[in-house]
Amino acid sequence: MQPVLSLSGLAKSYGKIQALKGVSFEVPEGAVFGILGPNGSGKTTLLSIILDILKADSGSFAWFGEPGSPATRKRIGSLLETPNFYHYLSAVDNLNITHAISGRGDKTDIDRVLEIVKLTERKRSRFSSYSLGMKQRLAIAAALLGDPQVLVFDEPTNGLDPVGIAEIRELIKELAGRGKTIIMASHLLDEVEKVCTHVAILKRGTLITAGSVDEVLANEDIVEIASADTATLLELVKGFPGYTHIKQDGNKVLLYFPIGTAKLAEVNRYCFEKGATLSHLYAKKKSLEAKFFELTNENTQNN
Amino acid sequence: MIALIKTEWLKIKKYPAFWWMLGIVALTYPGINAISFYGYTKATTGKELTNNIAKMLLGNPFAFPETWHSVAYFSSFFVLLPSILVIMMVTNEYTFRTHRQNIIDGWSRSEFITSKLFDVLIISVIVALVYLAVALFFGFYSDSTFANRWAEQLQYIPLFLLQTFAQLSIAFMLGYLIKKAFIALGVFLFYYLIVENIAVQYARFKMDDIGRFLPFEISDRLIPAPAFFSRFGKDAKASYDHSISIIPEHVVYSILLTGLIWLICYAVHKKRDL
Repeated sequence: MQPVLSLSGLAKSYGKIQALKGVSFEVPEGAVFGILGPNGSGKTTLLSIILDILKADSGSFAWFGEPGSPATRKRIGSLLETPNFYHYLSAVDNLNITHAISGRGDKTDIDRVLEIVKLTERKRSRFSSYSLGMKQRLAIAAALLGDPQVLVFDEPTNGLDPVGIAEIRELIKELAGRGKTIIMASHLLDEVEKVCTHVAILKRGTLITAGSVDEVLANEDIVEIASADTATLLELVKGFPGYTHIKQDGNKVLLYFPIGTAKLAEVNRYCFEKGATLSHLYAKKKSLEAKFFELTNENTQNN
Repeated sequence: MIALIKTEWLKIKKYPAFWWMLGIVALTYPGINAISFYGYTKATTGKELTNNIAKMLLGNPFAFPETWHSVAYFSSFFVLLPSILVIMMVTNEYTFRTHRQNIIDGWSRSEFITSKLFDVLIISVIVALVYLAVALFFGFYSDSTFANRWAEQLQYIPLFLLQTFAQLSIAFMLGYLIKKAFIALGVFLFYYLIVENIAVQYARFKMDDIGRFLPFEISDRLIPAPAFFSRFGKDAKASYDHSISIIPEHVVYSILLTGLIWLICYAVHKKRDL
């Protein structure tokens, strides 16, 4: 299947600072694609290039298999970095401009998207009178206008309160459920973990890894066990076959297995037969956070 | 094209500064001409010999067809006002970061500049319409006996439009390249009011008048000081005739410079990071 977006060798420098160093990956259709990275890792630079705000020094990208152009941008709803609107115009007037330029949506659709982001009551107020969160909501409404097949969100929950964050998360899930492709940059790992099907991790302009969340996150199974006597348990499970390494974490012992090979029941039986009764047995998926730190730290060491 | 103008109209029509500036222009242009007209009337009415001499020397600069020229000349001092509006309209796009959003939403980079070109064009036309109304008013009001000569010297209408557009284009380029409203305004005012005036006057006497090739002066020469300024002495008459004779030349220079300005804006916008 034709990828919605493919990047090949994108590079960009600001003077001496190399913001992107040859990044390549593909976004399959229907994916919720998270682009992760610490501050200054090149996420926004990358999104700016694919939206023709910045010119790449080298490399190329293609939307729907064709080079980026005004026509491809009109098919994409985007929120880049900050909500950019005319301060003296109301929400409706601003969305009229979005409509006039992109051709997305119409009068009734403007009302629909304002309802989704809960700005209906304030739709006639000037943008300059909005709170940070309301501005962000309007930017999301503008991206949703005309129900585009592809959405680009750069830090979509910036400035939102916890309820707002949860609403946007639900919105993204709902959009994904309707088969939309969503490309989302974030430094909020929790957010990405909850909604994304795919991730790309950037650090200092280099792509560390990209792929489906399951592949990126779970390259090993972790079994967490505990018993009354941790030291004995640790010694004892060293005889268990198949693990790659063992780690003690406080009063718990962590057994790492190649992906798909951990069998909890066998671990339990083995320990019991050897005379240790487990008080805790848990198959753990590595959190994105842990994985993220692991990947980004690894990279630092390699440097 | 129509779509671009419609979109710009959505931006402009609820922009308070646009209406304020329009109101100010609509007051200032008649205002400055009314002051000049008042000065003229005061000097020429009365039975004193001096009044009659004044009338003889000045003619009636506000009667047809001279009104086209005189009103254009007096009004052109105030291109400053629409220039502020033009600078605000382009720097606003940077302030609101909508210059990026317009591209993200699907304009090409050249469409963005074209939309601004239309803004400047629309403002120039509005300003020229105000001029037209003022010139017509004074033509009929000051001395209706000449009303039958209204169709003479109509070339000052396109000349005024070209001058306004050329000078507003310079203002646009400053706003476009400098990006910050107040710095752009400062540079514009300092250059327009002070630097170029001094340079032009200096060049007039010391450097064979090469000051006429400075950016604003190129189009200033489209509308030279009206005839009544030059009815005193032979040199003045010769210099007036000269300034009339170089108008066609300056039409070409103005068009070339304005074309160059817009080409620069298009070229820069095509390449630069937004």
